Amino acid sequence: MLLLPIAGFLLLALAGSRLEKMLGKRAVGALAVLPIAVAFGITSYLTQQLAGIDAAHRSIVMSGPSWIDIMGLRIPFELLVDPLSMTMSLIITGVGSLIFLYSTGYMGAEREYSRFFTYMNLFAAAMLLLVLGNNLLLLFVGWEGVGLCSYLLIGFWYKDLANAKAANKAFVVNRIGDWGLTLGLLLITALVAGTTRHVPDARYLSYDAILPELKIALERHPDMATLAAFLLFIGAAGKSAQFPLYLWLPDAMAGPTPVSALIHAATMVTSGVVLLNRMHVVFESAPLASTVICGIGAFTALFAALIAFGQTDIKKVLAYSTVSQLGFMFIGCGAGAYWAGIFHVTTHAFFKALLFLGAGAVIHAMSHNQDMRNYGNLKKYMPITFTTMVIGTLAISAIGIPGVFGFAGFYSKEALLGPALGDTNGDMGGVSALALSGQIGLFVAVLTAAYMMRLTWLTFFGKERWRTQPIVAEDHEEGAHEDAQPRLATLDSDPYGFFLSSEPKSVEEHDHALTSDHTPKEVSPSMWLPLVVLAVLSVGGGYVLENNGLLEKWLQPSSAPVTSFVPAEAPSWLPMVSAGAGLLGLVFGLIVANAEKFDLAKWSGLRLWARNQFGFDELMTNFAVQGGSELAVVLDEGVEVGLIDRIVNGSAGVAAWIGKVLSVAQRGLVRSYAVLMLLGGIAILSYMMLGGKH
Amino acid sequence: MNDIQITPELILFCGLAGIAALASLGVVLFQNAVRSALCLVLNFFVLAILYFTLNAQMLGITQIVVYTGAIMVLFLFVIMLLNLGSARLLEEKWDIKKPLGAVFGIALATLIGSQMLPGFLSRTHVNPLSDYGTPQALGRTIFTEYAVPFECISVLLLVGIVGSILLAKRKI
Amino acid sequence: MNGVPLAAYLGLGLFMFCVGIVGVIVRRNPIVIFMCVELMLNAANLTFLSFARYRIAESSRVTIEAERSVMAGQMMVIFVMAVAAAEVAVGLGIIMTIFRSRNNVDVDELNLLRG
Repeated sequence: MLLLPIAGFLLLALAGSRLEKMLGKRAVGALAVLPIAVAFGITSYLTQQLAGIDAAHRSIVMSGPSWIDIMGLRIPFELLVDPLSMTMSLIITGVGSLIFLYSTGYMGAEREYSRFFTYMNLFAAAMLLLVLGNNLLLLFVGWEGVGLCSYLLIGFWYKDLANAKAANKAFVVNRIGDWGLTLGLLLITALVAGTTRHVPDARYLSYDAILPELKIALERHPDMATLAAFLLFIGAAGKSAQFPLYLWLPDAMAGPTPVSALIHAATMVTSGVVLLNRMHVVFESAPLASTVICGIGAFTALFAALIAFGQTDIKKVLAYSTVSQLGFMFIGCGAGAYWAGIFHVTTHAFFKALLFLGAGAVIHAMSHNQDMRNYGNLKKYMPITFTTMVIGTLAISAIGIPGVFGFAGFYSKEALLGPALGDTNGDMGGVSALALSGQIGLFVAVLTAAYMMRLTWLTFFGKERWRTQPIVAEDHEEGAHEDAQPRLATLDSDPYGFFLSSEPKSVEEHDHALTSDHTPKEVSPSMWLPLVVLAVLSVGGGYVLENNGLLEKWLQPSSAPVTSFVPAEAPSWLPMVSAGAGLLGLVFGLIVANAEKFDLAKWSGLRLWARNQFGFDELMTNFAVQGGSELAVVLDEGVEVGLIDRIVNGSAGVAAWIGKVLSVAQRGLVRSYAVLMLLGGIAILSYMMLGGKH
Repeated sequence: MNDIQITPELILFCGLAGIAALASLGVVLFQNAVRSALCLVLNFFVLAILYFTLNAQMLGITQIVVYTGAIMVLFLFVIMLLNLGSARLLEEKWDIKKPLGAVFGIALATLIGSQMLPGFLSRTHVNPLSDYGTPQALGRTIFTEYAVPFECISVLLLVGIVGSILLAKRKI
Repeated sequence: MNGVPLAAYLGLGLFMFCVGIVGVIVRRNPIVIFMCVELMLNAANLTFLSFARYRIAESSRVTIEAERSVMAGQMMVIFVMAVAAAEVAVGLGIIMTIFRSRNNVDVDELNLLRG
């Protein structure tokens, strides 16, 4: 299963461009989709098998060859088949196949078609490794692998400066998360090694071995538990775009839209939630950290939802919505409902992939113009996309009738917010921080419905604005971008042309030429088919999974609390309020959308502020970059010139002198070298034989 | 150090070893490359016989087939192709490296010989295993325990073939 | 070969090896240099085989480990032969190419790699 995407990656990486020439793009596309589709089949089969096993034993370790084998550390290459990993694998391969299929249509006009699918396959492989790996190091390998692929795919159109910058930004911000994760993993390993009852054996780092040990270790060192939880959370926040490390996700929208759908909506960003689930024993042992996670999740959800109102780029709205939804997941995980986190991961994968792919279809139809201000009345031209997008909007807005039926988001959001709202532990001056987070979450649910309604309305209803109004230049967006990133702008002066090619942009790569007589067309079947499937899942997925607690029971073995910690019961009024929140949000969104002003100059200050992420991006960039460059200047003038230069130049002089002397010996004659080699051999032998005796 | 009995085997060995040593000297000392090559053939042949005395029958045969058969023919072919048989092209000039190399070589031989060999003088008993050098035994080992290195070696040979064709062809 | 000490085989190997080294250094004909390399490889082979033969002379018991080490010596020789064959094929090809392009194969005049 894991091997298939790897095989696909290797095949495409090694022979992709040749195949493309030989067999045409269609064949490459088929080759790309096939492995992951087959992997989906295998995963389904495995899941079925797993479901047949008694719940207590639903965890199968598939051993592979020894991976690392050095003294004192032996790490086998093992895969874990358990409900959690299977659920995630189903999402990755299932939603992944749909997105791959879609990509064959979406990327049809691209030149480096096979390169795209090479990266996509590598990504799928890395992500599967992340969820399937049976020890923390394999998780880490997958973790870095998806980070790398994300970088490669965001920067897929690397000839465009903004894209290259966005890729760099994603990479740099992710490194901060990785730093936390690495430290967390090391701390956990050290803790377990320090308190383990028996000698570490070969499978010392495997989950089934380390988790029980870890529980004991953490009970002995509660403060360490908090620290470890925080460090792991930093890692999770980096990957899952939580405040303040969310910065990279909106910029990541520079990549091709299927990438946004696959990586930044359906799979990669959820790896943080997976980590939280896998290591939930740590978080359960650290109530303080869990509360903070919950709070940060709530703050992120609110923050991103507000920003989403200020965006005009259709993909940016969806990006902030993703950040916001991830915030929801963290609320749930922080409150101890780990399975609910995965539940929302699943439903979110359905509807967010649907929304992104729908947005991609719209963008495709509108000549790659991403600004919603230029859209309008697209329902007339793209009926399938319109229908599916509306379903997606309803799903993310968590619309449903309590007790009867609801869209996917309705159930998962409820499951997430329930434990938080039900918390009665007055740890913040009589007010429960968890409950407060839950209330914020409810409010954000209103906002979510509202901004999604705005998006749908602006895109599919109203007048055909690209005909009547002047095309709003998107450059505004990117201009603002460049000001905010002086650090990455240094790439401009890259003297070697290392990052950027001076080749002119090819027309087919980025075609912004949306003209007023443009007529959008419905996209091809390979693109709308995934939309339909995802729409069906978005409608029914939540209902099926929630029914009789199907998913909760299914995930029981992997994510049930192992400590005495019990998540609070959801209050009984939640379904009603939640449903009400969704409807309220839709109405609110309708009002907002109708009052939409299309000229940024007429926007209120508050909204512009939201558009610019409340200045946070700028603040961070200024703080990190300018502070960094000032430090660099000080170091440059003081230390560099005064001390290091002298040493470096001096040593270079010495080296040059030595080189001049020694170059006499470098005559390029093999036999002279042989003589010297023999002399050296004799010298070493004599030392070993004669000198070593005393 | 116990005294070494003179046995017929020892006399036989001394004879073979003497031929091998002289042949190897001949490789280096003959000016004519063809003569060097023929000396090498002789040396390899005697080595093959010595392998037989070491109970490594299969390897002895391989030695004859691979070295004296294949590799040496290759050498002679190249000598013939390049017409280097006559020493005209490559007159050996005097060079500081020559005495230096000889001195170093003798030094190395003395060093290792004086330090390592005495320890093995007393070892005259061979191990009791008898049929380890048969093709059967070798085959069993090579296709079980050493299957992966064996495959690697075959890949290496393939690469060697491709590489030499690439080098030798005038126009690709 | 009862009565022949291990040292005798090793001594022959040592002698051939040193002759090979000296040959590599003193000769200028690359083909002869190659032959000397072959000589050195064969010396190593002889050493491997003699050690394999005399490996467990002290204990009369035949253990699995002893058998394995005996076989290991022979395997090594096979691999050396294979590598030598590949090396000769490629090396002679290189010599041919050099001869074609320069009409001369004197090792001392091939100093293009000089820095």
